[in-house]
Amino acid sequence: MFARARAIAATLMILSALGAIYVAWLVDPAYLPPSLSTYLFQTFGERPYAAPAATAELPKLQPEEICPPGNSEWRNAQTIDGVNIKESLHCEPDNPYEVAAFVKGTNNVSMGTLMETQLTTDAVVKGRDLDGDGDPDEIHIRLEVAELNGHSPDANIEVPGYSIAPGVKPGFWAFVPKARGMATRNLETFEAQPMLRMPSPTIRVEQGDKVKITLENTHYLPHTIHFHGVDHPFKDANGEGNDGVPLVSEMPIFPGEQRTYDIQPRQDGSMFYHCHVQPQSHVLMGLNGLFVVEPNRPNNPVQTLNVGASQVRHPSVAVQERNSHEYDMHYLAIDYEMHNILKTSNDPRVVSKRLHRDYNITKREPEAFLLNGRSFPYTIRESLVIVKPDERVKMRILNGGADPIYLHTHGHKVTETHYDGIERPEASQITRDVVHVGPAQRVDVELETVNDGLHSYGPGAWLMHDHREEGVTTNGIGPGGNISLIVYEDFLGENGIPKIAGNLSTLFTEEYWRGEIPVFADMDPTGLLSEPVPTASTLTITLLTALLVALLGLFFGSLLWLIRSGGSTSVGAKE
Amino acid sequence: MTDMKNESKPTGFGVLKNTRYSRWAVLASLACGLWLLPAGAMAQTAEPKAGEAKPEMDHTKMDHSKMDHSKMDHSGHDHHKMVMDDGGMVMNWNDDTPSRDCGKISGDVAFEVRAGRKYAEQGQSFGFSQNEWNVPACSRVTITFVNEDNIRHQWMLHGLPRYLYPQGMFHLEASGGTTRKGTFIVPSGDKTFLVHCDMAQHMEKGLKAQFKVGSGSGDLPSVPGITDARVHDPEQQNSGTWQLVLLASGLMIGVGAGVGGGWIGRKSHKSK
Repeated sequence: MFARARAIAATLMILSALGAIYVAWLVDPAYLPPSLSTYLFQTFGERPYAAPAATAELPKLQPEEICPPGNSEWRNAQTIDGVNIKESLHCEPDNPYEVAAFVKGTNNVSMGTLMETQLTTDAVVKGRDLDGDGDPDEIHIRLEVAELNGHSPDANIEVPGYSIAPGVKPGFWAFVPKARGMATRNLETFEAQPMLRMPSPTIRVEQGDKVKITLENTHYLPHTIHFHGVDHPFKDANGEGNDGVPLVSEMPIFPGEQRTYDIQPRQDGSMFYHCHVQPQSHVLMGLNGLFVVEPNRPNNPVQTLNVGASQVRHPSVAVQERNSHEYDMHYLAIDYEMHNILKTSNDPRVVSKRLHRDYNITKREPEAFLLNGRSFPYTIRESLVIVKPDERVKMRILNGGADPIYLHTHGHKVTETHYDGIERPEASQITRDVVHVGPAQRVDVELETVNDGLHSYGPGAWLMHDHREEGVTTNGIGPGGNISLIVYEDFLGENGIPKIAGNLSTLFTEEYWRGEIPVFADMDPTGLLSEPVPTASTLTITLLTALLVALLGLFFGSLLWLIRSGGSTSVGAKE
Repeated sequence: MTDMKNESKPTGFGVLKNTRYSRWAVLASLACGLWLLPAGAMAQTAEPKAGEAKPEMDHTKMDHSKMDHSKMDHSGHDHHKMVMDDGGMVMNWNDDTPSRDCGKISGDVAFEVRAGRKYAEQGQSFGFSQNEWNVPACSRVTITFVNEDNIRHQWMLHGLPRYLYPQGMFHLEASGGTTRKGTFIVPSGDKTFLVHCDMAQHMEKGLKAQFKVGSGSGDLPSVPGITDARVHDPEQQNSGTWQLVLLASGLMIGVGAGVGGGWIGRKSHKSK
């Protein structure tokens, strides 16, 4: 009886082994040693044709409008309260009333103009003309700190919401002008009002101005401001620390407190300001911006703040002497791991622990790359460099991040005129097509749109982007990152969106940035590179794989049986 | 924590829900019964707190020195108007026109509200001196809002009739160390109005309150001292180990009860 059992077990073992080899060959010949699979091909011939996977239909997408309807009259050149404001052809131009208020001062501008903004009466106060040259030299700026995409104890939402690309909402902190009213656009949305945004605004003063900058710390962690490269005394007139470095020059400004910094810069140039509390996280979290000191000129009230950077709609007299347009360009690379800590807890103690102790900047891996607080395609709404032929455009480039950028200007070679606010001797100014800007560095470049094959190759919609290739992606998906364009007006549509070869609609969906849309899907007329769907043949493969596993199970089962029946025999013999 | 990169790609609601809710749901269902008790108790204790704050207008407490009367008067005559000065404002002042459903003003109520860090609960940053107010229907309410911090704060009430209050808002906004006073008239009916400071993250970090007309229409979530948050920090819940131990012991008790019950049943069956 035991002998029979052993015989059955042995037969089962052999059959299941042979079956498993055959099924494995059907599923994938690579499972077998090459000699064995070759033998099977020779024995059974080629395997039958399996229909390939069909192409999936693209999901029905509801893209945002590339240029949402808005205040199109804001784009016009205009004069508000006597302040001349340049035309801005962007889809989303700066609010010209804000520009007027920043030029005249929120204390001097008409109430009607101020009501068209969300600025407080004391956001930018301009006082006396100390040198009698026709512009105010006493400037008092009040900044607050806004958290964007923070935690809500009421729902799983980011408040107030701020998107760098469709559906992409990392947490940020930004210095913002002192504002009034709601933090959201209206009662129906959680989206932040337009002044609460990245990057921190460019601050612009005139050389020699007596500037007071008050930081009202409206945030839940301590902060300071350090004026990097801007001429300022270590202590102010009252003997208070003025360098913004906690423990060294002063104590940090705790939540609910404020401090005023005093500066009177003797030198002009493109400088930098940032929070110096735990800078390894606070600077990169968004608390940094350009600080521009304009050369002193008569009748030169400057645009004290440039919200969202990009085009300067009221350039200084000195800039206008040479340049037709001026652009502030703020670059920042962000590590989601750090920025999303803000969303994980409502408790400042917990956020502080996770940010300042658990998060380790040496393990940093940035996923998103911003130009003026947005990633492509949102950059084309506000941060195009719009030019005409034969112009000289000034671009002040700040790298507010921790990684170098290598800015490539398609179709143009630009001239680097200033490093860190200091003008290069003319003979050593470099003309090139990749501008290298390290962390905290500022490079002023001049873009000449002269079609000479060197400075410009002629009109077009020319890409402009960081050439570290991760810089043109958002979490690894492209085209995103800090891409923008140099666009000649002939290549600009009515609404400020460039006239280009394809349609960007797919990029204006959240699905694209979640990686759910094949990147060539809507460009490829053959559809050959769209997404495959699971087919009958893959189902067959799945079933065969299941059969293979079952056969292997049977093999080991019968092996066990064989061993056991052998053991039983010996036990039986004893009995 | 170390794995945060994987859990929280910033793609909006969906991802957060998936990662947060799964863990949260388990605990929530376990803790549900336990919650109801203290929540109910808290709602009870909220009542007397609100009751005690029902004084008649107390002029002695108001800080007249810091108020700009010329501008206040100006707005008082012309309701729905807004006044802005020195970094602060009063929006939608209305001291004479009751809503259509009221007919006439039922009476005057005045509150002094203070705001600042010193009123913050543990784990928050800012606070109001009081988080609930109760007034009779159609009352004329005067709020004196004292900002004790050195930054801006707001006392913003939402949900008033829009034909009298643009955007349905009554709003006081005070720069650091200043006081603002304003008057509005509540409609009839039992309703709970949201009061908050609508600066970025200020409501979330403590400046949230509820204003009940009549008997109100229930409580709002995450009002400090009154109601719990709807979304908690998943990392702040019991640690993973404890969750596992709890779940395992629950499972063991259940299995033990089942086996033990079967054994007793079989034994009693046998003994018959």
